[in-house]
Amino acid sequence: MRRPAKTCPVCESGVRVLDYKDDRTLGRFLTERGKILPSRLSGMCARHQRQLATAIKRARQLALLPYIKGYVG
Amino acid sequence: MARRYETVYIFDPALEEPAITERLDRFHALLTKDGKGTITNLAQWGKRALSYPIKKKDTGYYVVAQFETAADLLPEYERAVKLDEGVIRFLVVVSEGLPAKPEAAPAVITADVVDEIEEDEA
Repeated sequence: MRRPAKTCPVCESGVRVLDYKDDRTLGRFLTERGKILPSRLSGMCARHQRQLATAIKRARQLALLPYIKGYVG
Repeated sequence: MARRYETVYIFDPALEEPAITERLDRFHALLTKDGKGTITNLAQWGKRALSYPIKKKDTGYYVVAQFETAADLLPEYERAVKLDEGVIRFLVVVSEGLPAKPEAAPAVITADVVDEIEEDEA
């Protein structure tokens, strides 16, 4: 069974490059625990999925995004 | 060879504005020395909540600086920033290809900062 082709939300919005400082946009591509959403779910093309991963990892270093969401240690 | 870079600083929220400005001037003097570089943009995001505590602090004062400089000036600059106790976290990236506008988040550019940038460009 092939899954139906989704169109990349980033390509569609006309954005060429994902910015690591834009935590609100990046936050939409996290699971409720703060993991990066797989392209299977995000529907992103390979290029943007790679950019997304780098951008999210940079944003995490700067505490713009959490490494783990909802963890109370 | 000059390249375009971008640094995001997170300062200790306990620092006052003049202390932050003084540090930025000191760091950026290292990048612009001998006319080898220019600061092209400076955006102060101000205080904002951290997603997780760093050095037992829950907030930080964010500043984004974009600049062009020679690569051989970077190690000394990064060392100076790293040694500063007032900077709780920073990130330097090559900003070629990234969107030019620095204010993705609530950016507050104060009038005196704009003056400084204009002086740098002049």
